[in-house]
Amino acid sequence: MSLSAQIELVRVWSLFEASPLGNPVFSTKPVNESEAMDRDIALLRQIAAGDRSAFAEFYDRHSTLMFSVACKILNDPGEAEDVLQETFMQIWEKAGRFDPKLGKAASWMAILVRNRAIDRIRAAQRRSRLAEESGAVNAIAGEVSDSANENFYGHDRAKFIHAAIVELPVEQRQVIELAYFSGLTQDEISKKLNAPLGTIKARIRRGLLKLRDQLEGVL
Amino acid sequence: MMDERLEEQAALHVLGALTEAEAREFKQKLHADRELKEYVARLSTATGAVAGAVPAVEPPPRLRAKILEQIAPRQTAGLLPERRSNPLAWLPWALAAAFATLCILLSIQDSRLRGTVGEQAQQISRLNALAQTLSAATNSLQQTVLTLQETNRLANLRIAMLNSLAADAPKAIAVSLWDNEKQDGVLVAQNLQVLPAGKDYELWVMDENKNPVAAGVFHRDENGAARVDFKPARPIKTAGQFCVTTEAKGGVSSPTLKNLVLASN
Repeated sequence: MSLSAQIELVRVWSLFEASPLGNPVFSTKPVNESEAMDRDIALLRQIAAGDRSAFAEFYDRHSTLMFSVACKILNDPGEAEDVLQETFMQIWEKAGRFDPKLGKAASWMAILVRNRAIDRIRAAQRRSRLAEESGAVNAIAGEVSDSANENFYGHDRAKFIHAAIVELPVEQRQVIELAYFSGLTQDEISKKLNAPLGTIKARIRRGLLKLRDQLEGVL
Repeated sequence: MMDERLEEQAALHVLGALTEAEAREFKQKLHADRELKEYVARLSTATGAVAGAVPAVEPPPRLRAKILEQIAPRQTAGLLPERRSNPLAWLPWALAAAFATLCILLSIQDSRLRGTVGEQAQQISRLNALAQTLSAATNSLQQTVLTLQETNRLANLRIAMLNSLAADAPKAIAVSLWDNEKQDGVLVAQNLQVLPAGKDYELWVMDENKNPVAAGVFHRDENGAARVDFKPARPIKTAGQFCVTTEAKGGVSSPTLKNLVLASN
């Protein structure tokens, strides 16, 4: 089955879910994305008001994704724990600053933990070790079932996401991973890959646009 | 419709690949551009998906407890351990409340005084401005009065030209300026003849009844000219003619008509 066909299938999954026609292709129950987003927004509002139980629920929903990102960037579970703790304290203090117009809570959380992990690396001046040793250039999980997305989105959506990323041209995927997981700026990527800055910018833009187009309707 | 450059910046922004300065500049644009905001939101979904594509690693369960424990003080800060009843326990609170009340009252009083002082300062400022305006108006009025007085004085002045009536001094001429209010005047004469010894020029002012009133004797200078500030011997209601005669030295009480030298019309 082609990727686009699978995406379309997931898009209409919810229509079949309550249908007497029985289970279609996938066995894992898909996540209702709209409900998930609404729940995240509601939880963040409750957290901003000081609701501890909402904070606990939010932790349970996102901690695996965030810890996975921190581990991938830092390549050190101990430091990843520190970063996760710092990031959740930041969320506890600043949940009111989340703006749903700027993206989903999961993306916001991911960028919060990513930035903290990158800051930690910069502070320790260990970027070169990170880029070369942590495998950031090949940050994507080899198997869908191993990815953090599966925990959050369920197997079916995680599979589409994984396929969409893997299908990106290597040079586009490479610059995206270097920027996101290694914390390199556009200039630094340009130097590292010995490619013109304009080329790097174009690869990043095209790669993200392609990914966005592939995933639109699924996420 | 966004241009490619802005799209590139948005892509770099969601990946955290802009420098600090670039990121600051982009955030300003983002704040003001609704379309850009929507674009960034859609791109961030893609980066979120990339983030989640990494191998899943479960955080240790103890970390959850640790984090939840850390946020606990914020919610339980208000819960204090139970204490034994103390009959004077209210005293510090009462003192604190009294002190707080005093502070509030002083603050209110201070605020009122500041308000009053402020109002008075404004009032003084307004009065100063008014005084300056009045002073300017007064100066203007005084100037106007002076102008009017001058105009009035000039209106009261009578200028008369005195022509020669003497055959031996045909070029003699004089001008008199008479201020009826002040009852004095000035006579300026030229081309006057040298008088024989024992003689003086005498000025006369004719009153409203055409009676001559003596206004003083004078002498010519070496050039035949004379300037005389004069005041008639008695008040004159309305000055008529002005004339000059030659009289015995020191002057006389009544003019000698045959000795008329100068006379006005």
